[in-house]
Formats: sequence, C-alpha cells, structure tokens
Amino acid sequence: MKPHFLFPHWGRYLGWGLVIAHVPMSIIGRANGMVNPLDNPPTESLFTGEHLFFICTSLVMALGLFIVAFSREKIEDEQISHVRLDSLRWAIYVNYLVLITSLIFIYDIAHILELNLWVPLIFFIIRFRWVIFRLNRSLSREG
Amino acid sequence: MKNNIRVERAIKNITQGELAEQVGVSRQTINTIESQKYVPSTVLALKIARVFGKPLEEVFMLEESD
Repeated sequence: MKPHFLFPHWGRYLGWGLVIAHVPMSIIGRANGMVNPLDNPPTESLFTGEHLFFICTSLVMALGLFIVAFSREKIEDEQISHVRLDSLRWAIYVNYLVLITSLIFIYDIAHILELNLWVPLIFFIIRFRWVIFRLNRSLSREG
Repeated sequence: MKNNIRVERAIKNITQGELAEQVGVSRQTINTIESQKYVPSTVLALKIARVFGKPLEEVFMLEESD
C-alpha cells in the first residue's frame, strides 16, 4: 500500500475536539458583544479584536473539520481510498453547485465565501462516514 | 468481474476476517469483493490468489459485460 498524505488515526478525535471547542468559544465571544465581522463590517482597520476573534474561531473549526476529514482510518486499505476519492468528488460537485447557485441568486459575496469554507469539508465527512456506515452494516447483516 | 472467493474460502476453511488479515485489508473490503460490489486492484487480486495457492484466473473471471 502506497503511503498517503493523511493525518494519523487519532487525528479524528483531535479534530472533533477542536470543532466542539469552537462552540463555547463562539458563544462566550458573542455573549461578550463580539459580532461576526461579515454581518457588521468593521469601519476601522483590519485586525481589530473582533476580527482576530473571528479569525481564531473560524480557524479552529476549519482546522478541526480538515483534520477529521483527512485522518487515516484504522485500516486504510484500497477500498477506503476509493470511497475517500469518490466522496471528495461529490463534495466538489456539491460545493460548486451551491457556489454557482448562490452567486447567481444571492448578492452577498462575503457569506458565499464563508459557505465555501464549510460546505466541501462537511459534505465530504458526512458522505464518507455514511458509506463506511453502510459497509459496516452490510457486514454485520452477513455475520 | 466474478470471483470464487467464497468457495475458495470454504475449501481452505478460513473466515473473511482471516483472509482480510492475510492480505492486509479490512473485513469490509473482502466482503464487498465477495458480493461483487467492489473490484479489487491487481495487487490485491494477486495477493488473494496467492493465499489460495491458485492462479489468478481460477479465482477471478471476467464477465460478458466487462
């Protein structure tokens, strides 16, 4: 088996940890009056407190999802590679479908960019896990 | 592509899990190959044939539609 550029298997737990950690960070931030700079564009310069906070929380979540998506399975064999590639293809299709539709119908480039940050990764993770779940289910059915 | 893995396993009396371990893949992969949902790579097909001690063509056969 050829080596792949993938994170180790424990990366999945680290990734979910980061995604979960992002939630209280955002809630605390919003409770302290931070707003998404996309909803309320700062009039001052870049890198204000709000801007930095937004960058940090977004980065934590994006990094978490990224590590979850690209961490190695327990047994990373050729069928898993195949499923991974297929899911990636679907994620790109869906991403561009969403991107093009929203470019045509929504006049809000900043939010489209934000959408573009999550859609491929989230769709990839859901599709990939779903196929593996189905494989496992057919296995347990056969006994 | 058809295959005789289930029959060959029965002859050799090994489970899907044991075969999977010997060729270094997951049990799911052996299962989907057996049920013809997944076509293995040449390397994996050769490894499986080697476990059974048979030439490739006796374990895997082309179908009309291939």
